[in-house]
Formats: sequence, structure tokens, C-alpha cells
Amino acid sequence: LCSFSSCSSLVPQRGPLRGSHWQSSVLTLRTSLPVRAQPKKKKKVDVKKEQAQKDRMKKKLKKLEKVAPELIPIEDFITPLKYSDSNRVRSLPALSPEEAERRVLLLKKWSLFKQKQDEAEKKAIRSLVESQQEALRELRLESEELYQAAIRRDEGLFPFQREGPTYTPPLPGYDPPEGKCVDITKVYTQ
Amino acid sequence: ANAARRPWRLFGAMCLLRLPRITQPLEKEEEEMAALMGQIELEKSHYSDHEIRKLEEEERLKRRRESPDDDDDDDEGTGKTVIMAQDLEDKWEQKFLRFKAAPRITDADKKNIRTSLNRKLDSNLMLLVKQKIGNQELWLLPQVEWQPGETLRSTAERAMATFLGDDIQAKILGNAPYGIYKYKFPRAIRTEDNVGAKVFFFKAFLQSSDFTPTELKADYLWVTKNELGDYLKPEYLKKVNRFLLD
Repeated sequence: LCSFSSCSSLVPQRGPLRGSHWQSSVLTLRTSLPVRAQPKKKKKVDVKKEQAQKDRMKKKLKKLEKVAPELIPIEDFITPLKYSDSNRVRSLPALSPEEAERRVLLLKKWSLFKQKQDEAEKKAIRSLVESQQEALRELRLESEELYQAAIRRDEGLFPFQREGPTYTPPLPGYDPPEGKCVDITKVYTQ
Repeated sequence: ANAARRPWRLFGAMCLLRLPRITQPLEKEEEEMAALMGQIELEKSHYSDHEIRKLEEEERLKRRRESPDDDDDDDEGTGKTVIMAQDLEDKWEQKFLRFKAAPRITDADKKNIRTSLNRKLDSNLMLLVKQKIGNQELWLLPQVEWQPGETLRSTAERAMATFLGDDIQAKILGNAPYGIYKYKFPRAIRTEDNVGAKVFFFKAFLQSSDFTPTELKADYLWVTKNELGDYLKPEYLKKVNRFLLD
């Protein structure tokens, strides 16, 4: 009987399912009539112990959670200390006033250039949209069903992927050198 | 629904673009600005490890030259060869000079072969085909008449397939037409329900990079936007230029 009680305290983790709730201890072989007093005691003690354990675990979890999670450091924003050495500072001749003047004038020319470029782009886009609107208007005059087919969404268009232009075209028959790319980024977990 | 026969005939035309493969050369202002930006970046930066190593080695060389006798570095004593930063830089420079990239201006550019796809790698190229309209042979964007039962986009796809074969990979940008050109037939062939034609343009990007059409039935050309004027009629050209961004 003593061995039984020790077994049954471990039961809830690994034992098979109970057939009915009248079967109080899962590992019993039906040897005798179930004695009411002892199984009840076992249940209470077990239940109390389990509850006490659960509460302790919950308290520990709460304590851990109360501490705010440590922020993951952004490696780009932290300059390593070896780069703030004074011998690292570059020694170049100071800027002459002519050079400063030239720079300011160049920046002004650049802003004008960019403004013109932007204006040209916008004009081109506007003319494209106008042309498309006109085409759709004419199409509508022609036939309604073709118009409806034309303004339907094209599902296959997006996601649209395209490789951008490079400085030189691809060299035919080029054999790139062999190598393996090893990723050494540090992964932080909170 | 379309019981009354409309007087206009519909055509679907495809403007097939080969997108640029190399970057366009920088304008003068862009080059000046790029140089200025580089200069400012250099002024604001600190020395890197490689540069510090180079400076230290130059100092050491100078000191050794000035006092040649009594400098006893460990390296001199053991006879080990030290790789200097300057040597490394020379080695890298040599390696770079040995590599030959593909030329930006190809042979087709030099000989102005307009049927090849390999010219003008830095701009969009458009397909033009010679077609017979009425009794004239004209250079046009490939077009085909619309047949009832298909959408205009499929007409344009059919136009592309007729002139370039079925296995062409092009990404058509949407179901809607980009432009329209309508013209009335000359009085001689104009009838009550055949007044003129409306040509709807669609745009597509050519996806396959090495495209050599084998079964081309008509004369074709790949031209840039500026060269379109050499081939297209003025009215047609005006309408086509409206939807070309370049």
C-alpha cells in the first residue's frame, strides 16, 4: 500500500486515461473493493501539492516578466571605441574661400538641374495618363464590354520583379571565382 | 447588344520595349556633384585601419632610410619578408587592370545595325514592323485587327505573336490601352459602316534577354524614341510619343 501511494503521486504525468471516475487510482488492478477513505486522502494531498507547485511557478514567471525585456542593441548606431581615437582624425588643408564659393554655386546649379529633371518627369507622367484616359474614352464609345474588360484589374502584373541596369553589360562566357558566403551577423533574442 | 454596326474598325497594336541593360552616362552637373560629394565625405571621415597601417609603414621606412645603421627591427634580424600595405594596393590595382569588362558601346552600335537588339544598351528599344495598310507599305508598331469575342489585350498579344512567334516572353502592363490613334479611310474606300479605324496601343516589356527571332515574316527594326521620327508618320508619331516615358 505504501508503494501504491508513492506511485500514484507520480501518476498524473504518465498514466493511461481513466475508464470512469469511479476508478480512483489509474494503476490499480481490481483486486478488492475500492476503499473509500484512502483514495480520497491521496487525491487531496496530490491536488494540494500540485497546486502549490503551480503557484510557485507562476510567481517566478511573474517576477521574471516584471523586469522589462532588454532592448536589442542596434549595431549600426554604436560606434566601437577604437574609432574615436585622436590619431584617427584626418589632417587636410583647410577650405579656401574660393573653394567654398565654388561649392555653394555648384549646389545651386544642382538644385536647378534636379528641379528641371523632376518637372520633365512629371510632365511625361501627366501626358501618359492623359493619353490613357483618352484611349479609354474612345474605347467606351466603341463598346461597353471591351471597356469593362480593359478597366479590370490585371492580377498577374504584381508582384513585378526586374533586375536593374549595371555599368557594363554581362560578359559572355565569364566564369566567376568560386567562394562561399558566410553570414556572421549576431542574432539577439530578448 | 452591339447590333448596330459601328463605323470604326478596331485594331490592337503592341509597343514592345526592351528595357535598358546599362546605366546612362552621367550629365556634367551630375559628375561635378558626384565629385563634390566624394570630397566632402573624405573630409568628414576618419582614417581607416588600412590607411593607418600605410602611414605607420611609411614612417618606419623614412626613419630607416634616415638612420640606416642602427635600426634593429625584429623583422630585419630574422630575415622575414613583411607585406606592406602599399604592396597590397599595387597587387589589387594589377588584378583590376587585368580584368576586361564587356564594352558599353557594342559592335552593333558602331555599325548602326538597327535590327539587332544589342545596340543602345542604355535606352529603351521599340519594335517597328513594316505593314501593308490599304495599298501603302508603312512602318508601324505591330498591329492586328480585332475580332469579336476577344478583348483588346488579347488582340495585342496576337499581334505580337504573329510577328515574333509564340514563345516570346513579354510582360504586358495591364489590361487598359495606353494610347489611341484614329484615322479615317480615304474617301475612295469609305462606306457607310466603314468610316475609319481606331488603333489601340498596349505596352509590354521584353523579358527574354537573348532574343533572336527566327520566323519573322516582315521587316522589323528596334529603334529608340529619338529615332522613331525617321520611320513613323507625323500624326502617328505624335500619338505614340505621348505614352512613351524616356
